[in-house]
Amino acid sequence: MLARRKIINRKQSSNSKNCCLYYAKDGQQYIVTQAPQVGILKSLGIVENAVIQKQLTYRMGGPVLLRIDSCEIAIGKDFAEKIMVRG
Amino acid sequence: MASCHEILEDAAIFEKENKILLMGNPNVGKSVFFSQLTGLQVVSSNYAGTTVTYTEGTMELGGKQYTLIDVPGTYSLEAVSEAEAVAVRFMESNPLAVLCVLDSTNLERNIKLGLELQRFNVPIVYALNLVDVAQRHGVQIDVAKLSRALGAPVVPTVAVKGEGFQNLLAELEKIPSEPGLRPKFPPVQGDLWTRAKEIASQVRVNVSGELSFLDRLGEAMLKPWPGIPIALLVILASLGAIVGGGKALRAVLLLPLVNNVLVPFFKALFASFIPEGIFLNVLVGEYGVFVIGFEWIIALILPYVFLFYVVFSFLEDSGFLPRLSVLFDGIMRKLGVQGGSMITIMMGYGCAVPAIIGSRTATTKKERLIISAAVCFGVPCISQTGALISLFANFSPLLLVLMLLLSLAVMATVALVLSRVIKGDVDPMVIEIPNLLMPNGKAYGKKLMLRMRGFLVDAEGPMLLSILIAAGLKETGLLDMVAVHLEPIVSGWLGLPKDAVIALILGIVRREMAVAPLLAIQGLTALQAFVGGTVALLYLPCLSVFGILAKEFNAKVAVAIGVSTAISALLVAGIINQVAQLFI
Repeated sequence: MLARRKIINRKQSSNSKNCCLYYAKDGQQYIVTQAPQVGILKSLGIVENAVIQKQLTYRMGGPVLLRIDSCEIAIGKDFAEKIMVRG
Repeated sequence: MASCHEILEDAAIFEKENKILLMGNPNVGKSVFFSQLTGLQVVSSNYAGTTVTYTEGTMELGGKQYTLIDVPGTYSLEAVSEAEAVAVRFMESNPLAVLCVLDSTNLERNIKLGLELQRFNVPIVYALNLVDVAQRHGVQIDVAKLSRALGAPVVPTVAVKGEGFQNLLAELEKIPSEPGLRPKFPPVQGDLWTRAKEIASQVRVNVSGELSFLDRLGEAMLKPWPGIPIALLVILASLGAIVGGGKALRAVLLLPLVNNVLVPFFKALFASFIPEGIFLNVLVGEYGVFVIGFEWIIALILPYVFLFYVVFSFLEDSGFLPRLSVLFDGIMRKLGVQGGSMITIMMGYGCAVPAIIGSRTATTKKERLIISAAVCFGVPCISQTGALISLFANFSPLLLVLMLLLSLAVMATVALVLSRVIKGDVDPMVIEIPNLLMPNGKAYGKKLMLRMRGFLVDAEGPMLLSILIAAGLKETGLLDMVAVHLEPIVSGWLGLPKDAVIALILGIVRREMAVAPLLAIQGLTALQAFVGGTVALLYLPCLSVFGILAKEFNAKVAVAIGVSTAISALLVAGIINQVAQLFI
C-alpha cells in the first residue's frame, strides 16, 4: 500500500517538471511553458502560460485532445511534441 | 457542380461604400446570419472554415440599402492565413460598421477577436450567438456587463432559430452613417488574451446546465472506444442509405417515370413532325438526347446525387466530420497528410470541384496539391458512383466493395507518393471540435435545395453536351472510325467490347459518362464491368475539374493531373484485365 502511494507520488512529481504535451499524462491540467510560433495555435490560445486540460492521447501517432477554456481542440502529434507544459 | 461559395475576388468590393462587415471566429454561425439578414443563401456547416472566401449580399436597414459582406471566419487579425489577410483588407477598406458574431460557448477566444477588431475604430455591434447551447453547458452570460466591458452594444441571438434578429437590426440602425462620428475605442492595456480572459470571467455566470444526450454522445464519439465503432457504423449506415435508398428511388419512382412516361412522350412528339433520319435519331434514337438524357440524368444519376447530399449535409451540420478527422488523424498522418483533410476528401465523394476549392483551408500548398490530386485520382464523384452502382448491380455487390477498396488504395498511394515527391511540409492537424448538434431543419433544407439546384444547373449543361457528342458520333459513323484506331487499347489491352470507346471519349467531359455507356452494352462480363469501372474511376477528371484546377493552381497542374490520371487509368485497368485473364 505504502509502496504504491510512493509510485503515485513519483508520477505526480515527474509531471510538475517540464515535459512535452504529447507524453504528458492524460486527464490532467497543465500550464504551457513553450509553444511553437504558429498562427493557428496562437489564435486558439495555445500560448505561453495558457492553462490547458489534457484529455487524451490517441494511439498510433494520433493527435492529443485537450480543453482550453470551454473549447475542445485536437492537436496533431508533430505539434503536440513541440508544446512544452508543466503540471 | 461549380461551387458552394461565390468566388468573386473582385477589387471593386473594397471600394464599395455602405459596407457592413460580418465577422467572427470560424464556425460561429456567420453564414446563418448572412442568410437571415440578406435572404441570400449560403452554405453553412458545423465545422471551421466553410467560407473560404467572402460573399456579398444586400440588406435593408431603415429603408436604406447596405452591402453585407460575409468575411471568412478568423481567429485573429494577424494575417497569418489567407482568410485573415482578406479580413484585414476588409477592415481597412473603410466599412460603415462591423457585425461581430461571438460564440457564447467559447467566450475567451471570441472576445479576443472582438477586442482586436476595435483597433480599426469602426462602429461594432456584437451578436452573442449560441446562447442556448451555452446554457445547456451550464454557462449564462451577463449581456449588460459584457456590453459595458466591450464598449459597444451586445445582442444575444440563436441564429439558426432566427432569435434576436429584431434587436440586432435595431442596434445596427442606430449606427451613425457619417464617417466623422466614428467611435474611438480605448486601446487595450497589455495583452489582448489576458484582457479577453478577464472579461470572460467577469461576465460568465455558471448555472446548473444539464448535458443533453447529444453532448454526451459528442464526448463519447471522440474516444477511440466507442468512437471508432460509432464512426464506422455511421459511415456504413450512410453508404447503405445512399446505395439502397438510391436503388429504391430509382426502381420505384424514376425508372418507371422515364421509361413509361417521359421517353415515350418525346418519341411520339418528335416522330409526329420530324421525318425519319439523322436529326430524329439525334433527338430520340438509341443515343438520342431525349432518351439518354432522361435515362442517364434522371434515372441513373439524380437519385444518388440527391441521397448523397441528404446524408452528407446532415453529417456536415451535425459536427460528425471533425470527430472523424480526429479519430483517423493517426492513419492520415502516416499517409503524409493530416486528419483535417479527410473532410475535404469526403466532400470529393460528392463532387471534386467544391473539394478542390475547399482545400484552400489547407495551410500549405503541398497539402492542397496532395488533397486535390487524391480526389482527382481515387475519389469517384457521386454521379459516377451512381453509374458504377447501376453497372455492378447486374453482377455482384462484391464488385462494388472491390471498387471501394481500389479507390482507397489509389488515394493512399497518391498521397504517399506525392508527400514524398513534393517538396515542403504538411502542417500537423489543429482542429477545433464543434458541439454535436441536431441539424436545424430550415438551414438543412435550404442547404440541400441549394446543392441540388447547383447540381442541376451546373451538371445539366456538360451532361447534355456529352450526350450530344455521343449522339453525333454514333449517327455520323465517326464512332466506328475512331473505334478502329483505339481497338488495340480498348479490346486488346483492356479486353472491353469496341463500343466501350465511347465511354473513353465521353469520360473527358463528365466522369459518370465514362461509365454510363457501358450500361448500354449487352453481354458485358463481370470482369469487363470491373475493368471498365476501374478505367472510369481513375480516368481524367471532368471538364469542370480541369477548369477549377487551372484556376486554383495553374494550367501545368491541371495538365499534369489530366495526363497522369489518363495513363494510370489505362495502365491499372489493363493490368487488372491481363492478370485476371491468366486465371480465367
